[in-house]
Amino acid sequence: MPGGRVCAACGCSEIEVDAARGDAVCTGCGSVLEDNIIVSEVQFVENSGGGSSAVGQFVSLDGAGKTPTLGGGFHANLGKESRAQTLQNGKRQIHHLGNQLQLNQHCLDTAFNFFKMAVSKHLTRGRKMTHVIAACLYLVCRTEGTPHMLLDLSDLLQVNVYVLGKTFLLLARELCINAPAIDPCLYIPRFAHMLEFGDKNHEVSMTALRLLQRMKRDWMHTGRRPSGLCGAALLVAARMHDFRRTVKEVIRVVKVCESTLRKRLTEFEDTPTSQLTIDEFMKIDLEEECDPPSFTAGQKKLKIQQLEKALSKKLEDFEGEISSYQDEIEIELENSRPKAKGVFANFTKDDSMEDNTSSIAGEEEAEDEELEAAANHLNKDFYNELQEKGAVKKNEDGECKNGNEALIRPPALESLLGPLPTAASLGITESIKECISTKDREPGENTGDGELDLSGIDDSEIDRYILNETEAQIKAELWMKENADYLKEQKEKEARIAKEKELGIYKEHKPKKSAKKREPIQASTAGEAIEKMLEQKKISSKINYNVLRDLNSKGSNTPKKEDDSTDDSTNTKKLSRRKSIASRNIANPVNSVGKRLRPLISTQLAKKAAIEEVTFPNAQAEASDLEKPAAVLVESGPVAYNPDEEMEEEEVEEDDDHCMSALQLMGGNDYGCDVDDDDGY
Amino acid sequence: MDADSDVALDILITNVVCVFRTRCHLNLRKIALEGTNVIYKRDVGKVLMKLRKPRITATIWSSGKVICTGATSEEEAKCGARRLARSLQKLGFQVIFTDFKVVNVLAVCNMPFEIRLPEFTKNNRPHASYEPELHPAVCYRIKSLRATLQIFSTGSITVTGPNVKAVASAVEQIYPFVFESRK
Repeated sequence: MPGGRVCAACGCSEIEVDAARGDAVCTGCGSVLEDNIIVSEVQFVENSGGGSSAVGQFVSLDGAGKTPTLGGGFHANLGKESRAQTLQNGKRQIHHLGNQLQLNQHCLDTAFNFFKMAVSKHLTRGRKMTHVIAACLYLVCRTEGTPHMLLDLSDLLQVNVYVLGKTFLLLARELCINAPAIDPCLYIPRFAHMLEFGDKNHEVSMTALRLLQRMKRDWMHTGRRPSGLCGAALLVAARMHDFRRTVKEVIRVVKVCESTLRKRLTEFEDTPTSQLTIDEFMKIDLEEECDPPSFTAGQKKLKIQQLEKALSKKLEDFEGEISSYQDEIEIELENSRPKAKGVFANFTKDDSMEDNTSSIAGEEEAEDEELEAAANHLNKDFYNELQEKGAVKKNEDGECKNGNEALIRPPALESLLGPLPTAASLGITESIKECISTKDREPGENTGDGELDLSGIDDSEIDRYILNETEAQIKAELWMKENADYLKEQKEKEARIAKEKELGIYKEHKPKKSAKKREPIQASTAGEAIEKMLEQKKISSKINYNVLRDLNSKGSNTPKKEDDSTDDSTNTKKLSRRKSIASRNIANPVNSVGKRLRPLISTQLAKKAAIEEVTFPNAQAEASDLEKPAAVLVESGPVAYNPDEEMEEEEVEEDDDHCMSALQLMGGNDYGCDVDDDDGY
Repeated sequence: MDADSDVALDILITNVVCVFRTRCHLNLRKIALEGTNVIYKRDVGKVLMKLRKPRITATIWSSGKVICTGATSEEEAKCGARRLARSLQKLGFQVIFTDFKVVNVLAVCNMPFEIRLPEFTKNNRPHASYEPELHPAVCYRIKSLRATLQIFSTGSITVTGPNVKAVASAVEQIYPFVFESRK
């Protein structure tokens, strides 16, 4: 209030405000201007222990803040907004995880702040809450420099490390937080402790630290898991101080693979530092730095490749020489060889030709070369023999043999190609054609411009890609064989569905709609409760309620007509039928009315039972599976409630005339969704 | 001045991925039966067809969308795609070659020096991210080019981007930074 107030009675402007009593009094005439002023002071109340605490409540800044119920809520998540619930849930999980990791309170609070930021940026959408929480915690660990690894978190949560890592990277990027790079030195104390070095723990740690620094300078640490390096360093340090720690023990602590550890050790061995003795190592630091091991490995590879290239070049040279010698020899021999006559002439011709064909129509190139080499070899030997012996007869025999052998080879090939209808043969035919045709085609293909129509694409080549009928059949068989498992599964599935359809149990598995949690309605009477529930629940707009009510009011008095026809065309008809059946003896639940009504009856039952107890059924009963109410039916149906139900049915109906209709609407609404869906189809 | 030496760097394109549409429904079963070099994956509903001449593997869906991978240059990718469309035509489908687009290009490049990764990360904070626990390389993203580079400590760099030009300019951009943090 502004200071310049004037007393209404005397016009005096000296007004005294007493905050304690909450009065505003005029000092001139003494009239009380204000009484019970609202004060904004902090008040204290005495505790049971004798101390005093401030009076008041914390109200969240972002929540809409419905006042907590005076009667005390059922559980903490009552009446709060989704955002507040999420945050509270997150906080709880953070604390739970953080305690397992032994993080202090400050870290947990920071993690919660990160989480709040993440939620406000909608990063929790579409991600598992546990992943986001783990990422927040790990972020804190990084920024604080605690010796926690991502592996620890993944161990606790049983989640793949890389999945967590992905979430973590995303979080760090979105929140623009730069996580400082992890230093393997941070892990040493933790692992050393776990390896139980006793009194010498500190010394071993220091040695390991020195080793690590040496490793860093030797470029072993870039791109490597810090834990692996630590493991290697600790192992060596332990040995240096006469502790026997096997590789297995170290692995269990450090969580890397044995081969990784060994590799690190060998890499370290390669550095010059490894040559120093223990004392020297502690005192001296070598000046030079090494290259990273992967770099040296790369260099080695390069060298080997170069050597190979040089070797192959030399080989080629040699081969070239040899082949030139061969050619010369052959030419000379041909000249010197007397021409074969008669039958053998064919053979000689065939020989040369078939060599060619075997190379084209033959197997893949390796075999090709082998054949040629074999042929050449045989020929060579042959010609050597010829040279030595120089007899014509031998020539003829030789050529005959040669020709025979050459003949033998191609037929063998064809037998290979012919009857075996395997992929190999198809592949072969392909390679044959390709070998023949590609040489022609090479210049044409590369000029591919313009539209699709055939520029640069040769049709015949593409024709190769299409199998003829027999080949197609063969291939189909092969595919069937290979994918037999999958096909079997499909068949079984179909058989199952067909069976279920016959039995009438077939349900289409629609994606489960999650139950909406609603506040429990507080009402004094059942009627009020139903009214409130109606307001909340979205009733279908396709129902004409007035007609319904009329129907129901009539229906309750008239005898129950049974409509066995399963005609679901109009909702009203259905509802009246339901009502009639419902008001009939529920002791016979097993009617031949079809599956849909059975659950209806049970839900109605459940609801009736609930009404009697005046506590409203939970939303779960409404939205749960159709099967669940069936179970309810079995358990609680006829046994307990039947007699009561029967008696009270009529009363209930008459009393809650309009409520019955609402009830049915509700019950109907369970199908309301389905029915609407059906109509939609 | 440091950018001069990148002329000598050879960027090797290892993979080009492209997509195109045939604008007609394809019967996968028929393709699988009558085509050579095809693998029919019925459980996921696609057919893999491998060509030899430009070494290309194409994934064909029944909706008519085709993804082609394995080419070593953009022209080759286009040629292979057209070949594929032509072979589908021959199988009897009314194929129209539309919406051809190169989607991804993967290239490899080697620096003649090693790189200090932690230092590099520190200097290039928002763009570079390095998690030695997860992956041995630094992941550097260039938003303007939509390119991602993976920088290894040996000096080898893997670049992926939407087209060859972007990849080349990404390498040019990264060179000075990498040169700073060289060993």
